[in-house]
Amino acid sequence: MIRSNLKPAVISAVVVAILTGLLLGVRLDQQGTTLGLVGAGPDVYWKIAAAATFLFFFNLFRDQLGALWKGLPGLPKAPAKLTSLGDKPALRRLFWCFMIAAAILWPFLSNRGGTDLGTLVLIYVMLGLGLNIVVGLAGLLDLGYVGFYAVGAYGYALMAMYFDVGFWTGLIIAGCLAALFGFLLGFPVLRLRGDYLAIVTLGFGEIIRILLNNMTWLTNGPNGIGGIPKPTLFGLEFSRRASEGMQTFHEFVGISYNSEHRVIFLYLLALLLVLITLFVINRLLRMPIGRAWEALREDEIACRALGINPTAVKLGAFTIGASFAGFAGCFFAARQGFISPESFTFIESAIILAIVVLGGMGSQIGVILAAIIMTILPEMAREFDEYRMLLFGLMMVLMMIWRPQGLLPMSRPHMELRT
Amino acid sequence: MKMAHKKALSRMIAAAALAGASTCAVAADTIKIALAGPVTGPVAQYGDMQFIGAKMAIEQINQAGGVNGAQLEGVVFDDACDPKQAVAVANRIVNEGISFVVGHLCSSSTQPASDIYEEEGILMITAASTSPDITDRGYQMVFRTIGLDSLQGPTAGNFIVEQIKPQKVAVIHDKQQYGEGIATAVRDVLLANDVEVPVFEGITAGDKDFSALIAKLRQAGVDFVYYGGYHPELGLILRQAGEQGLDVRFMGPEGVGNTDISAIAGESSEGLLVTLPKAFDQDPKNAHLVEAFKAKNEDPSGPFVFPAYAAVQVIADGIKIADSTDTEAVAEALRSNSFETPTGTLSFDEKGDLKNFNFVVYEWHADASKTALTE
Amino acid sequence: MAMPESLYYLIQQLLNGLTVGSTYALIAIGYTMVYGIIGMINFAHGEVYMIGSYIAFIVIAALAMFGIESVPVMIVAAFAISMMVTSAYGYSIERVAYRPLRGGNRLIPLISAIGMSIFLQNLVRIAQGSRDIAMPTMISGGIDIGPQDGFHATLSYMQMIIFAVTLITMTLLTLFISRSRMGRACRACAEDLKMTNLLGINTNAVIALTFVIGAALAAVAGVLLGMYYGVINPYIGFMAGLKAFTAAVLGGIGSIPGAVLGGLLLGVTEAITAGYFSTEYKDVVAFGLLILILLFRPSGILGRPEVEKV
Repeated sequence: MIRSNLKPAVISAVVVAILTGLLLGVRLDQQGTTLGLVGAGPDVYWKIAAAATFLFFFNLFRDQLGALWKGLPGLPKAPAKLTSLGDKPALRRLFWCFMIAAAILWPFLSNRGGTDLGTLVLIYVMLGLGLNIVVGLAGLLDLGYVGFYAVGAYGYALMAMYFDVGFWTGLIIAGCLAALFGFLLGFPVLRLRGDYLAIVTLGFGEIIRILLNNMTWLTNGPNGIGGIPKPTLFGLEFSRRASEGMQTFHEFVGISYNSEHRVIFLYLLALLLVLITLFVINRLLRMPIGRAWEALREDEIACRALGINPTAVKLGAFTIGASFAGFAGCFFAARQGFISPESFTFIESAIILAIVVLGGMGSQIGVILAAIIMTILPEMAREFDEYRMLLFGLMMVLMMIWRPQGLLPMSRPHMELRT
Repeated sequence: MKMAHKKALSRMIAAAALAGASTCAVAADTIKIALAGPVTGPVAQYGDMQFIGAKMAIEQINQAGGVNGAQLEGVVFDDACDPKQAVAVANRIVNEGISFVVGHLCSSSTQPASDIYEEEGILMITAASTSPDITDRGYQMVFRTIGLDSLQGPTAGNFIVEQIKPQKVAVIHDKQQYGEGIATAVRDVLLANDVEVPVFEGITAGDKDFSALIAKLRQAGVDFVYYGGYHPELGLILRQAGEQGLDVRFMGPEGVGNTDISAIAGESSEGLLVTLPKAFDQDPKNAHLVEAFKAKNEDPSGPFVFPAYAAVQVIADGIKIADSTDTEAVAEALRSNSFETPTGTLSFDEKGDLKNFNFVVYEWHADASKTALTE
Repeated sequence: MAMPESLYYLIQQLLNGLTVGSTYALIAIGYTMVYGIIGMINFAHGEVYMIGSYIAFIVIAALAMFGIESVPVMIVAAFAISMMVTSAYGYSIERVAYRPLRGGNRLIPLISAIGMSIFLQNLVRIAQGSRDIAMPTMISGGIDIGPQDGFHATLSYMQMIIFAVTLITMTLLTLFISRSRMGRACRACAEDLKMTNLLGINTNAVIALTFVIGAALAAVAGVLLGMYYGVINPYIGFMAGLKAFTAAVLGGIGSIPGAVLGGLLLGVTEAITAGYFSTEYKDVVAFGLLILILLFRPSGILGRPEVEKV
């Protein structure tokens, strides 16, 4: 048995040596204008040797290890339990109430940094939920989602710059503008098949970013737009001194000024937007259009046969998804106070997509969980500094192998007949 | 002395009470300085320049007895030059009750972060962000120890007009805040002096192929090229221009003045003109500092090393003069005094910019050395 | 008879575009082959190209250190070792990030590949530093086309080498696919993976081979471009991968001649836009062209229209 595994074991060890020997074992060294080579040092050689040896023995004894693994008790199946929550509406409701309460209490329990991080998480939750409609529910692979996010952010920033529009009006305008872009793009491209759609949307996202960068006369180009007004609460500002004709929150309530109020307000506002998003999507899911999205994802031909117009249904998903990105973008612009095109690169799209897939496509609680993980994890791993992105990439790969259906796979809202 | 100290303390307590956070008060024996910039990401090497300069200053000030009996402590925050993370970093700095920041590096990160610092009364000195917008908003807490794009552009533009006297100049930039800002300033000077600018174009940072652009420059018959941006792209442009037989002189800002440009462009980098802040590491009176960097195996030649050193020193001296760590008092001290630093005698104007920051035009050589053409 | 200068300018821009396009094509083939057989987008392919460049630089620097200065020896060694190493990478990527995921939802391997791409990029960054690494020009000089006094087009020897290598590689690959036993197995897999497996062909080996060939071609591009531009950093793979992917889709993903055509078309479009319009908009026009072509030919220029089956 071991003998039959000898060949793959040797091969894997050799492959590891080839993979790492040159690339990690030596280091290109530019001294002034000449190019030289230096060794990477004994610790790297030891690591390479250790990795090769490990793989050698792993492959040599893989059958025994496999048997051992099977003998171990299975992993606790916590996620499965969570998904079964869907079966018990009361429990489910309780769970959601608990979640919302915890989210509301968070800024008061945490410090300013934590609250701000929470706001960032909520922006990603919003983006994840929006993209979830397009990718998770309708099954349309959109790699340029960040384009709509940019449209929302710039929509608000430009409106504020040129027409003095406030946050709340800006929010609506940004959402509508992003939806319009989604509609206009979706109209011609939605008849393309999955992977073609992916690259077209990717190209679209890039075009938006480049245009924002190039149209200096309108968008200030790479200099970005600064001084974007912060949100107000029924006309009350969260600043030390009120601007003309306005009143500040702390004067109105009669407490002393504390800049943390605004951070908390921004957080609660983001939370509100997320809750609205969740509510709207949950309603949509129960409506015919929501059912049609999922049906379309499963079998397009069957849907046609049933008289569903695929283009219209896809267009609906695309437009609604885009409008949520617009809301998120508007909020992002308000939180930052300054935006520039470099915040809207492809890697941002990739992260949002990773959130959707990590969470389990179509699953909303999964998207929330994934957004938290994807935002917090890099912050936590900051001690590893240079290894942070490396681990991030590795985690994405391992996650997909370990749980391709996502952390918390979707459970469909359905009713069961009790017997 | 004692009175002032008490006053500062009471102010601090008031500030702590205002902020409402319990961890806000600064311990009496250490003054924390946040060093914010990219530790990770594609421009991490520029962040390094800033960090080694600031850390050296902190180390040396502490060795000399600290500031008013307190030791300085540098805390590094990584913003990866991402505006989104810069805001998060700024909030964390507020959270940790740090009142002084040296950073950030990229202008697009400095700008949103400085909004928060201004609000919170945190004193920020950037040693690397050169965008004029940063100090153009009437902020009281924002300073910088480096020159502005809008200053460097005219220096270069005037040099071209007066010394080179070309007929047709192409102005190229990398479509980023820094490069486009300088390029626009240069173009404006040239146009004002009736120099023809037939090509004014942006390239994409990170691109590798500029053959189409070079053919265009050849066809346009330009006899001088100004490039606003960083060294990787200009290095490639020079190299490809040499290969395609575009034989004109190039000029660039301090972002191209890096030894790597000679490694990339080889012989083609001979004769390149570069506007640089005075090479502080070449200044004889900084010889001991250069030694100290070399002893730690660090490279003191980066453009942001000494400005970052100066930023920390200015903060320390400001605290000494104000005799308090209250940032408003320190900001006031910064505006009304001048400071002896390795980058020269610094004094700040109302906006928080240096009153006199001179750029020198250098001629670059293929072995990455340079000779000054102006004073 | 003297031709007008503008014509030479056009020739110059076409040559520039074809050079860039050739390298897009070489990378695009890796995408298209993998897609053709298992219908997955190998997003980490651009990073393999980047690794190819690094290995080439390391090999050349090592040879120079041992005092071997002969340019042909250096180039041959760089090609051989670089292709060997990237083949190992192609093989490992397939084993680690694709094989366990085959047959599931098609989004899953895509995410896994994006993760792999981030991983490889940062692996190289940590091992080799994020600085640009430059190499002196190895092959200089070229020929001029047109009058010496006015504007004339130049074609460097390096550009000629790129054309030649691309042409030879394409020919060999086409012969391999159409004539060899293994190539026939590849085509069979592309047609119907399950059926091919039933007929006794080791489809796992065929898929692994596809990844290996794609990776080796990326190494060819990596070595060529490394020498042509003379500068590498860990981030070059992403943009090159994106452009090559665009080229593959433009030509019709899954079709090898399509990838070549798409690459060349993309390269020429970029050069013409930069030359006659503005460099700033070359990427916009490139992606715009892609969208336009897909509108009229939803499966790309040479792609087979997919027949939907129940």
